[in-house]
Amino acid sequence: MPGTVRNTVERLDRPSAYYHSRNRKRKYDRDNEDGREKSEEPAGDPLKDATTLYVGNLSFYTTEEQIHELFSKCGEIKRLIMGLDRFNKTPCGFCFVEYYTHQDALDCMKYIGGTKLDERIIRTDLDPGFQEGRQYGRGKSGGQVRDEYREEYDEGRGGLGRAIQAERLKEEEEYGRGR
Amino acid sequence: MADYDSRPRGGRPGGGYNSRKRRYRDEDDFPSRPQRRRYSDPPGAKLRKQLLGIAESPLKRVEDEIVAIARTAHEFCSSDPEIREEFVALVAQLVLEQPFKIPFVAAVVLVLNTIEGGNVIVAEVVSRVAGLVQTGVKEGRWRDVKCGLKFLGGLQGVLGGEGVWVVLEDVLGKAVDLQTERGEETIGPELVKIILFTIPYIMASSSTDSQQKAASMIENTDIIAGEPHVLQSLVDPYPGDGKSEAASTDGVLGLLQKQLQAEAAMGWPLYPNALENAPKHDLPPITIPDTVNPGPRALFPELYFSVYANQELETVPPTSSIASCLLRDALVDTINVLDYNRNAASRFLIDLDCYFAPGTFVKRATPFDRLRDIEEGKSTWKPEDVAVDAVFSQLFQLPTPEHKLVYYHSVLTEACKIAPAAIAPSLGRAIRYLYRNIDSMDLDLSYRFMDWFSHHLSNFGFTWKWTEWIDDVSLSNLEPKKAFIQGALDKEIRLSFAQRIKGTLPAPYQELITEEKEKDTPDFKYNDESLPFSHEGKEIMALIRKKGSEDDIQPIIEQIHSQAIDMRLPDPIALSTDAYMTSICYIGSKSLSHVLSCIERCKDRLLSLGTAHPAGRRQIIDSVMGYWKDQPGIGVNIVDKLLNYTILSPESVIDWALSRNGSRLAEAYVFEMVAATVGKVTGRVRQVVLAATARGLSEEQKMILKQTMETERTAMRELFQVMEDALVGWASGAKDQQVESGDMSSEDAMVRRWGERWLRVFRRRFAVEEAWYLEAVKERPEGEGMDVDGDANPAQGAEGNGTAGEGDLGEGIE
Repeated sequence: MPGTVRNTVERLDRPSAYYHSRNRKRKYDRDNEDGREKSEEPAGDPLKDATTLYVGNLSFYTTEEQIHELFSKCGEIKRLIMGLDRFNKTPCGFCFVEYYTHQDALDCMKYIGGTKLDERIIRTDLDPGFQEGRQYGRGKSGGQVRDEYREEYDEGRGGLGRAIQAERLKEEEEYGRGR
Repeated sequence: MADYDSRPRGGRPGGGYNSRKRRYRDEDDFPSRPQRRRYSDPPGAKLRKQLLGIAESPLKRVEDEIVAIARTAHEFCSSDPEIREEFVALVAQLVLEQPFKIPFVAAVVLVLNTIEGGNVIVAEVVSRVAGLVQTGVKEGRWRDVKCGLKFLGGLQGVLGGEGVWVVLEDVLGKAVDLQTERGEETIGPELVKIILFTIPYIMASSSTDSQQKAASMIENTDIIAGEPHVLQSLVDPYPGDGKSEAASTDGVLGLLQKQLQAEAAMGWPLYPNALENAPKHDLPPITIPDTVNPGPRALFPELYFSVYANQELETVPPTSSIASCLLRDALVDTINVLDYNRNAASRFLIDLDCYFAPGTFVKRATPFDRLRDIEEGKSTWKPEDVAVDAVFSQLFQLPTPEHKLVYYHSVLTEACKIAPAAIAPSLGRAIRYLYRNIDSMDLDLSYRFMDWFSHHLSNFGFTWKWTEWIDDVSLSNLEPKKAFIQGALDKEIRLSFAQRIKGTLPAPYQELITEEKEKDTPDFKYNDESLPFSHEGKEIMALIRKKGSEDDIQPIIEQIHSQAIDMRLPDPIALSTDAYMTSICYIGSKSLSHVLSCIERCKDRLLSLGTAHPAGRRQIIDSVMGYWKDQPGIGVNIVDKLLNYTILSPESVIDWALSRNGSRLAEAYVFEMVAATVGKVTGRVRQVVLAATARGLSEEQKMILKQTMETERTAMRELFQVMEDALVGWASGAKDQQVESGDMSSEDAMVRRWGERWLRVFRRRFAVEEAWYLEAVKERPEGEGMDVDGDANPAQGAEGNGTAGEGDLGEGIE
């Protein structure tokens, strides 16, 4: 394995399992003929020079300024794109942070991912780069998919999952209140 | 930590995710499946796991572990060359990545040497680590050299001939040469530090006849280590007035020299001396090149910083004890090496006592007050204090620590999460100590303290015993303690929101968070009809908001001008600029992207406003900071973006911050603004210098780049000169504005004091840049150049920590 000496402890500046699984699905037909995963060749790795991070588990109320305040501790921020509800255009709990350098993005994975912002543990993931359209939630009702069916009440992210809320509302209408 | 090891090799994709499931699926192939799923690692993985986990578990006797690992290694490695290669590589890597384990890994190797046939593996280990040291020397990776030599020192007893002493003598020879050539050299002392840190490891190894050699070596290092370095005062964390408890900070090198002299005088009381009749191995020669590579990071004298000095009970080793330097060195290396996994780094800090002799520390999480009950003669050192102290030594390292400051924040956060009962009280005592001494602290450091403090609190529900500082709330804003409180609260608000922070504060603090600070959108001053140009201000704002053309706006600007002239007001352009910029701020007040898109639209006018009139830029800053006076952090951010657009110039920011109002020097956000601006300029110069000194340029390219470099460097020097002049004015009390308000005498003195603190910080910045430049343009042998980022990036981070890829440790481990 040239150039990839395995460290004695895991590294925190690697892309997440989520990224890998999505990537694998996409590449499945071409790469996985022998049933084994091919090593991610440095040449073809879209994250090799990544300067953008996906940031998740934000509260809907967290502002750009708060994000800027925390993330600029890892380097100057080039661009910050808030994730918005597809319909209301209100923040829906994620964003993209773009730095000027790859090193800043890696440092952010190591030093900021998994720490708190606005009293929530936030998640960071290396991202190949923002593209128009990705700022909108992909859930059915406009937000993020995870906020559709969430059964736990999360005050910072609109309470219960939206689909569950809608279902409850419907039940109340059909069977009357106080059920 | 076993978790880290159960994963397949990281080079393959998906490491640790799906592959884990897959591994369980493999078991289906076993012929008769037992009731419970059992899984045993293949030999190579088992050995790896054992070696990686060495000394980590307080439940195992480490002596037994060492023997067991040596036996396993012998068993597996003798039959399988692949496993042997992996083992040798892992030993070498552990030495570099987990310095705490060096003595234990050395012990495994010593035991292995006594097993028949084991000596072949040992020979490979010795030559591998010697190779790492050689590479480290060549590339200027001095920490690798130190760790490698510590490990080889631990093997001294089984090395043929003079063993490690030969290397140390060469290193010393080189250091002395360097010292004679240039007194301000920083590599020489670094080399001596390596020698001195290696000696205790040799003395602890099973070697004979080392005492004499150690004594003469220590005698010879004295000419370098015995004198404080000339640059020492530059990086003193407490330059203050000498009145505080934290008056003097010693250099690590000088301390270590004294400590080793004391150990030698006592005949090395703590070190065993048992030699076994085992095979000897020749240490491959390690050569020190004629030109010593200083490495990717500029070297500065290292001072011994402690937040637990002078307590009534001793919770950390005193600087008179060699334990202070040895523990600190291993801790600091561990922290800095493991920046790629802060969880692992903080785990090491918490488990610190596992790696040192029983009885070195009191039990974990022993409350400070309970130390009184410890019987006479037993240690009162708290492991968590020793660990936290080491992190602070990095956070407060001048001019800059190895990694970004936020890394050290994150280590403290994780440590606090892992063991809150142990760490939180230690942090509390550290915070109180730092706060007490803030008056004499270097200004850069008191800013770092504030930034860490607010960030740390934001991770723990913003709880702090504010009541203990209540008396300081009523102090003048020019008192460093009050400035700290105000700055920290502002930073907390920036990470959260005003109402939330207000809710965490006792009554006397409430007035520090005014009603205006709680407003999301500050008022648009022109809505006040009584204000001059209220009508015009509102009109300009309306036009910008509905994206009106410049032609529509221009007549209103001219109205302001003509009215101002009629009213005989000075500087009509400033008045119209104020209306224009304030409107932009108001329209963009919803969020940073709002203001950015508004600035983008108005860019042309703003650019010409800045250049057309000498005070244009100053007025733009005045308007921005005026509009955001209650949330200055947002204003600072906007100013930063305006710099990127070159609507503002660095000089204009410095001028705004430093030339008019002495009380600004006490505001944390002003320091932030100036530091960021200077960081942009110096970062830009470094980029250009690196580009100009890169290899493989054509003559023509070289010429052009050299020219750019000279222009940029001249501009930087001028900027520093402007700062110097302004700050000397404040520091000497020469500024006439200084006599402004009521209680002049004391305020005057305080402003003077702020001037001195600022001056120190930016003189040091300038010195650091000059030193960096001299190093960057030095002629180097092929292949030893500074790291060059291919694509020059004008806006690279203000901190500019050039950490070269930490992934490629240890050549030849594959």
